[in-house]
Amino acid sequence: MNSILLALPSKGRLHDQMNKFFESSGIILKRSGGQRTYSGFIKDIEEIEIIYLSATEISSELLKGNIHMGVTGIDLIEEGRTSASKDVTLLSRLGFGKANVVIAVPDHWIDVENIRDLSEVSSEFRSYNNRRMRVATKFSNITRNFFTKNGINNYRLVDSAGATEGSPAAGTSEIIVDITETGQTIEANNLKVLEDGIMLKSEICIFSSTNDIWKDIDLKPVERFLRIISARSEALGNAELLFDYNREDKDLEINLFRDFNSSFVNGSPNIGESVSLITPISMVPSCTYYLTSNGYGPVRTTRPDFIYNQDSRSWKLLKNSINLK
Amino acid sequence: MIKETNKIIDLLGGTGALAKLLNVNLSAVSNYRKKGFPDRLHYKIATLCNERDITIDSKIFGEFSSTLPAIDTRPLEILSEVSIKVIESLTGDDFELIDPPVLVSADKVLDRLGENIADKLYIFSDPAGSRLCLRPDLTIPTCIHYLNNGFNGVKKNYAYHGKVFQFQNPSSNEPNEFTQAGLEIIGGNSCIENEIEVFFRTYKSIEQSGIRNFNIILGDVSLFSILIDVLDIPIIWKDQLKAKFWNDKNFKILLDELTVKKKVNNKLFQKISNLDNDTAEIFVRDTIGLLENQSPVGRSLKEITQRLIKKSQEIKTDPLSKPTVKLIKEFLSISDKPLQALKKLRSISKNIDSRLNSQIDSMSERVEMMLELKVDLKNSILSLEKGRMVEYYTGFLFDFNSSDLRNNLNIAGGGRYDDLINSVSDENNIPAVGAAINLDRLEKIISSEKFK
Repeated sequence: MNSILLALPSKGRLHDQMNKFFESSGIILKRSGGQRTYSGFIKDIEEIEIIYLSATEISSELLKGNIHMGVTGIDLIEEGRTSASKDVTLLSRLGFGKANVVIAVPDHWIDVENIRDLSEVSSEFRSYNNRRMRVATKFSNITRNFFTKNGINNYRLVDSAGATEGSPAAGTSEIIVDITETGQTIEANNLKVLEDGIMLKSEICIFSSTNDIWKDIDLKPVERFLRIISARSEALGNAELLFDYNREDKDLEINLFRDFNSSFVNGSPNIGESVSLITPISMVPSCTYYLTSNGYGPVRTTRPDFIYNQDSRSWKLLKNSINLK
Repeated sequence: MIKETNKIIDLLGGTGALAKLLNVNLSAVSNYRKKGFPDRLHYKIATLCNERDITIDSKIFGEFSSTLPAIDTRPLEILSEVSIKVIESLTGDDFELIDPPVLVSADKVLDRLGENIADKLYIFSDPAGSRLCLRPDLTIPTCIHYLNNGFNGVKKNYAYHGKVFQFQNPSSNEPNEFTQAGLEIIGGNSCIENEIEVFFRTYKSIEQSGIRNFNIILGDVSLFSILIDVLDIPIIWKDQLKAKFWNDKNFKILLDELTVKKKVNNKLFQKISNLDNDTAEIFVRDTIGLLENQSPVGRSLKEITQRLIKKSQEIKTDPLSKPTVKLIKEFLSISDKPLQALKKLRSISKNIDSRLNSQIDSMSERVEMMLELKVDLKNSILSLEKGRMVEYYTGFLFDFNSSDLRNNLNIAGGGRYDDLINSVSDENNIPAVGAAINLDRLEKIISSEKFK
């Protein structure tokens, strides 16, 4: 039997956050040999073999189709993707490592607020200076694709090893494309993010390679693993609202779904039942207000650890992506 | 030291023996006696003489052997018959065959071609840390050859052939390296004669290669910019139309926007619109929060100020009239057989400034010259949109496509790029016109035509 390869980040903050996620999911990662080896397995699902790599390597191995699954950032997948890449499927967002890839210009440029301005400025820049505007970035692929889509051609990319935010002040580039969680470093370096300058919203996710690497693989252990991941990640970011359905309202279910992205755990409720509603955390205040002002209450809220659906989203995504091939 | 071709032929055993050695007809060898050895035999002849300890003067192989050390030393024998035919017909008497560098500065190539080509380039660093790439075409290396020799505006006629390298999606089945042959006229005057010379040699070579079905598309991107120059519209709209010309989608959006009066206003615009240039710069400097001797990051104070002034004028400027937009659209939509297209062009432009009409005259002149040279323009098209999406040429341009295959493959292309030298060096603009033929593709098409 062929083993299933799952690549996980080997070090740094990402490694710690990933460990925390698995721990909270009840998935126990074991290292083969000592704590310092770079391979391991999952306790009770030992068919899945773990290899520890850097996040960048994980993305490139997924895109080459050398591993079955891997945990890495959307930014790295998008940056690594070329015309020669294999398809990669996003199975589940893991809820951490959220950051945006953004375009930022010096805040001295008081005439530039959005990409349209930047496009005009880039053409003018070339005629003023007889060279193309330089963009410092680690994300050349993402930048190129985004600029092409927005019709900007008068620019040159400058590779940036680190401290991209410093390069306009240092004179090695005019503008930057960088990844940021809060935008604070960008502001501190006297740069401003364009209004429509978010190129990509990144997050740490579990991805799968979509190609014949899955041939002859027993999918049972993968299903078990993905059901847990799915249940855990669907619980993250959601709250459970508990209240009594004591007043008939035919439109309630549809309104809750449409306006608050919320749905009942057990389908349409019957009068007199105690019901449970899954609501995104950000919607909890407005949703509870809606419920209470429509005569339902008291509404109690809790945070679920897992939400197991009959159909696991991640598992379905994987199955479909393999069947397509 | 043997200095005469005749003597060499005799020493190698005479006409008959040499014909056998070279696997050619007797008549070919007697031609060599009169005209000298063709380029493709130089290597072979040199080898034969070497084996027989015959010392020959390098003059035997043409005048440039002693002055130019870097001639293409790859034996032409490994090239196919079609390629040899094309190359010989391209190079001819007054085009110097050169062997431009294979490794070129990645920055120069990207400066010239833009970042969009980056995912087709083989870029790497050498041990000294310079970022290099394998040449993706032969035009830039030929310019570098010109610049390295310090010709500085002197007219040079170059011919070349060699491998170029462009990464292709593996599933496309297109080769990552293929052979190009081409010509460039760099320096001298920016004149129609040079354009027709390059065009006609390309045409002749393709015609003689044996391909049966091909068509030609002609264009001239300078027609559009002159149209915009002479139209009676506000200058700020002119700049925007010219800047967006290269991207069809954005150009259409812009045209629509320019017909509507701009409403967006802000305090900055209101304030700046009443100031003269100097006061405006001081105002911008204060708004940014700079001290008197400080300049902004990335762009000059002048750049920022001028753009703000321009933006503030947009609100006050009248939008484009419907007839103007219609004229621009009609102009760009012209695409027809050359003579018909010219006729349409003239009828659209008859009431417009004479500068446009003299540019149209130049295009007619080119077409007339082609017809005089017996160029078959039956399957040809003159398109005013030609050259838009590449942002590479500055005037006349042309493409040769195979018209036999379903997907209309491009086999050759060329035109004028007077900004080329300037974009890869600090030199000012030097006129340049050139063309390149994709030999591998040409050959593939010829052999597929044979099977039909």
